Amino acid sequence: MKRKSTLIDMTAMSDVTVLLLTFFMLTSTFLQKEPVTVLTPSSVSEQKVPTANLASVLVSPEGKVFISIAGDADAETKDTWGSEALRKTILEEAVKLYNKQHPTKPIALTQQQVDAFSKINMFGVPFQALPAFLSMSQTDQDKVISDMSRADVGIPVNDNKDMERLNEFQIWMRAIYNSGNDNLQKAMKKGEGIAVKADKDTPYSTVHDVLDNLQTLKMNRFSIMTALKTEQE
Amino acid sequence: MAQIEQSDGGKKKKGAQKKMSIHVDFTPMVDMNMLLITFFMLCTTMIKSQTLTISLPSNEKVEQNQMNKAKESEAITLILTTDRNANGDVKKDENGKPINTVYYYEGMADYTDANGDGILDNNKLKAEHFVGNDGKIQQGIRKILHDRNKAVLDKIEVEKTRWRNKEFAPGNSAANDSIYQARAREIRNDSTLTRPVVIIKATPEASWESLISALDEMQINQISRYQIDNINKADSVLILDYLAKNPKK
Repeated sequence: MKRKSTLIDMTAMSDVTVLLLTFFMLTSTFLQKEPVTVLTPSSVSEQKVPTANLASVLVSPEGKVFISIAGDADAETKDTWGSEALRKTILEEAVKLYNKQHPTKPIALTQQQVDAFSKINMFGVPFQALPAFLSMSQTDQDKVISDMSRADVGIPVNDNKDMERLNEFQIWMRAIYNSGNDNLQKAMKKGEGIAVKADKDTPYSTVHDVLDNLQTLKMNRFSIMTALKTEQE
Repeated sequence: MAQIEQSDGGKKKKGAQKKMSIHVDFTPMVDMNMLLITFFMLCTTMIKSQTLTISLPSNEKVEQNQMNKAKESEAITLILTTDRNANGDVKKDENGKPINTVYYYEGMADYTDANGDGILDNNKLKAEHFVGNDGKIQQGIRKILHDRNKAVLDKIEVEKTRWRNKEFAPGNSAANDSIYQARAREIRNDSTLTRPVVIIKATPEASWESLISALDEMQINQISRYQIDNINKADSVLILDYLAKNPKK
């Protein structure tokens, strides 16, 4: 008997996979690295999160605060106010503000450390720990920042209404507002430029400090990140 | 498909070109594509999250006489709380939904305790839940807010029907939408209608989700005047008194 060939023609299969691949490549936006994964509560609001000119504040269930900054995406302004350039400007501004308020313990950053900062999507360490954190390799940074039990992770936030002596979170937000990027400032005034993200089970007392601090800074309008409500809810 | 097949006439006729069958094996290609697809599927977010814009009241001190006071008849205060167990984890009911309770009172709270026994004589506090709709019928806290804002909702409902029938701008759905939105906004902010003022207060243990649900109810019920306020001792007194009178099962 003649043996039948078991060769299967894979061309059709290949066509399908290439199509699928193209689809995924075109529709995808990459997941941003975040130190903790939070499940946002759902709402009926249909406003989309802007991808450019956004300062998002992540509050972990433990109450640790992280900030992520996205800059301008316009082709003309990308060089001056794109995410990386913007982060550098904000870091300089924040360090200046911090050193002014803490003249006894100023911090200084090298050019490499500033460059490293501009590559980080989401940051959250106290100012005193910042130089050491920025000198680490990226894998080490990720390891440090996702360890919620460490004391030197998360931007310190407390209940502070004194505009003369800002806490570290307020310094960062002030620096972001004063970065010089007009589009970001405009978005922040409208309330679209600040997004607060927290887990749905997080107690209100934990998020309250962040909201209160924003209020003190007169950033009364901001957005809250939510997921779309499903039909049954 | 992957091979270029030609009839093997090589043997039959002289001079005819020898024809080859070219087979390309696509299996490794498919393998690689599958790997790439898996990678993209795992690394992407398809759903973009939504946002909800809120504005908090300004922190600046306002003189007592310049304060914007809500009329007592219009005010409704919601106090949010979430049941938690000893570890601080949110308790879930049998359907796996978190137990969020909304206490509410209308107008001013009544703290009178004439005989001084620590039990309030006339505690107006009531408890409700976020239960959403049962078909078309509002339930729970949504029903209460719906009834309070009925004047606005009825008017918007009329506009909504006109919007559905595309009466504002026939044939131009974008213009139809924007005219409807503008009209709805006008009705929401129409001070001649009886509209409630909602004050939302969250207890420290209230989950973030319950606050968002409360803000969501404002959107659903087209309430334009609401604010988030800090909880104070008097509110806790009301809740404790309520719980003393209506112990949890």
